[in-house]
Amino acid sequence: MARRRSPSAPARSIYLFPLPALAVFAFFFAMPTVQAFQYAVTDWDGFSVDFNSVGLANFTRVVGGDSLFANAAVNNAKFLLVVVVVQTAMSLLLALGLLRNSGRSVALRALFFFPAILSSVSVAFVWKFVYDPTYGIGNSVLGAGSRLLNAFGADVAPLQLSFLGDDRTAIYWVAMAQCWAHIGQMMVVYVAGLQAIPGEIYEAADVDGASPLRKFAYITWPLVAPATAIVVAYTTIQSFKAFDLILGLSGTPPKGSLDTLSTRIYTTFANSQYGYAAAESILFMALIGVVTIVQRGALRIIPQSDR
Amino acid sequence: MTGTTPETPPALTRRRLLGLAGAVGLGALTAACAGPGGSKSQASAPATGSAEGKVSFAHWRAEDKAAFDTLIAKFTAATPGVTVTQDITPSNDYQSQALNRLKGGSVGDAFPTFRGAQFEQFVKAGVYTDLSGSDLLASYEPALLAAGKQGGKQWGLPYQVVFPMPVANTDALDKAGVSGLPKDWDGFLSLCDKIKSAGLIPLAWPGGEVGNAGQLFNSMVMNNQPADDTCAQIEQGKAKVTDDWFLTTLKQYKQLTPYFQDNSTGTAVEPTQQLFATGKAAMLATGSYHIAAVRALGATFGMDLVAPITTEAGKARYQGTYNATFILGVNSASKVQPAATAWLKFLSDKANAATYADTTVQHLTVADVDYTNKDLKQLAPWLTKKTLLAPRFQFLNLDIRNAVEGACISVVGGAAPEAAAQKAQQVIDERI
Repeated sequence: MARRRSPSAPARSIYLFPLPALAVFAFFFAMPTVQAFQYAVTDWDGFSVDFNSVGLANFTRVVGGDSLFANAAVNNAKFLLVVVVVQTAMSLLLALGLLRNSGRSVALRALFFFPAILSSVSVAFVWKFVYDPTYGIGNSVLGAGSRLLNAFGADVAPLQLSFLGDDRTAIYWVAMAQCWAHIGQMMVVYVAGLQAIPGEIYEAADVDGASPLRKFAYITWPLVAPATAIVVAYTTIQSFKAFDLILGLSGTPPKGSLDTLSTRIYTTFANSQYGYAAAESILFMALIGVVTIVQRGALRIIPQSDR
Repeated sequence: MTGTTPETPPALTRRRLLGLAGAVGLGALTAACAGPGGSKSQASAPATGSAEGKVSFAHWRAEDKAAFDTLIAKFTAATPGVTVTQDITPSNDYQSQALNRLKGGSVGDAFPTFRGAQFEQFVKAGVYTDLSGSDLLASYEPALLAAGKQGGKQWGLPYQVVFPMPVANTDALDKAGVSGLPKDWDGFLSLCDKIKSAGLIPLAWPGGEVGNAGQLFNSMVMNNQPADDTCAQIEQGKAKVTDDWFLTTLKQYKQLTPYFQDNSTGTAVEPTQQLFATGKAAMLATGSYHIAAVRALGATFGMDLVAPITTEAGKARYQGTYNATFILGVNSASKVQPAATAWLKFLSDKANAATYADTTVQHLTVADVDYTNKDLKQLAPWLTKKTLLAPRFQFLNLDIRNAVEGACISVVGGAAPEAAAQKAQQVIDERI
């Protein structure tokens, strides 16, 4: 016997509403993801009709026999570490300094937030000019600093850097550009988090004679932990997504010292090694998954232990 | 409290949504299991017939847009029923994405490729139609068509001739007391010394950009390499970059370090053009393809090419390097092949080719072109000198090319030649 529809039940057409989103999800995410697994066990070049099944050879090569992938992973780790630490620390520092809703603070917040509205490519162009060893503002400032020190009697040789041309430090300079672009954005998250801390707690601490450092350590830092969790998670994602910034700064393909996992995968695709690039992509996804799980675990521990 | 009754209609529950998502996912899975590959294009001669329709001309040379606009206006006026639109993609993106964009035929009825890996890919993917026996070929210098051949067939028409070796400010060389081109490595170092003594940077080199930095590699290895196809042999595992000839090349790169601008490994190409255009640097270590850009920056001095001869006098086999690139073809998936062929024929006409050459300051492979641009006239003798087809484009694997050229950059940055060569060889060994 057919069941009767309740008069208050939503119309069946409501099921149509999620369909566009599901279709987009299926077409742009589910299908490519499934295909990535399929391609990853082939040597397909991306355009030929024929291809061979290579089993897990692509994966074993990525893990144990590809120094370029290993180099990109190391670069990514350095980049991630610097960006997460510097961006989190600087955004918290700025938020603490600009916590009051005075006109000057609001103006400065807007100024620091400004780079966040720029596209990564624009940021790359700005910093390409900063880092140019010949005409860039970076070496101009360093040169002026050296001259100033010499004017005060110090015997300092003019300091001029190669910036992106120094293989040992290049990735850190890119990390600085990434931090510059996003510190303001993270500062806003921290401002919201800090403003949510009740003022009475600080007043009680003042009555107890707590120093500013102790107030930060025992009140601000534990209570701003939820905002820290958001900042760290978002910064981590940004670090893995730093693709156009790196290509904008270094050109395509990037030099080995600037190659990260995302640019390495792109280069492999451009090199017509779709099967191998798919294997790299899957391992990249797995790596992001591991980092996310570890990070979530770590951030869950902090507030609990501080309570 | 109202309980759930058997009459309750289906509600938008989490379970149903998951079911819906699962169904969509299953559909995606089925679709995804179609497998890689696809239908193979049959490589045949472009279709003949009356030229009509809308031709998409895909390329990467945004700087040539105005020149092509002029030629398109002339072409469409002479060819009623045909329109041509330019589909311009930045060169880096064109190198990495053009194949997938063009093989469907929705864009790029007529198109060029870069010589080397991209041309090989396009041929392998069946994007080029076969131009063997076409009357188009008669318009070209036969010797310069080789870069568009593969497997005995003429797939494309290399259109531009560029000289990827240092461009020199002849006024600055004169002031520095340089007379004549160096004939050996000591002569080249002596030339650099004289320029440096005159207070100029001898060589502006964009070591911060792998692509442009690698152009110097062409002339640095042209006489050092044991055979003309050594770069191809490296990729095949028959030669190694740890061999003596390449170590010699790396050591010579190291010797050049004091003659580059300071911190050259961090310099992009635009600042080097600026150094050269403003007369602060006497040579620009990229190639003739940058002359137009340098002129646009206001350079008025005379220019010529100076290749570093890396061997002893008398042992040099080549005076310089050239590249025949911008390899034009007709898309096998194009629905307007007669019109696309007509457009290539128009470009192959020596008068139209001269317009393009003079506007963009590039020599062409089209025969008997009457160049009027003074820089092209100045460099015209290089068309008949003993030059080698740029060896860096023998590398078809971009990781290998970047590893080899990266070794040269590393050495300038301070790495030991042996260590840099071993690092590059490791990348090569992993890929052959």
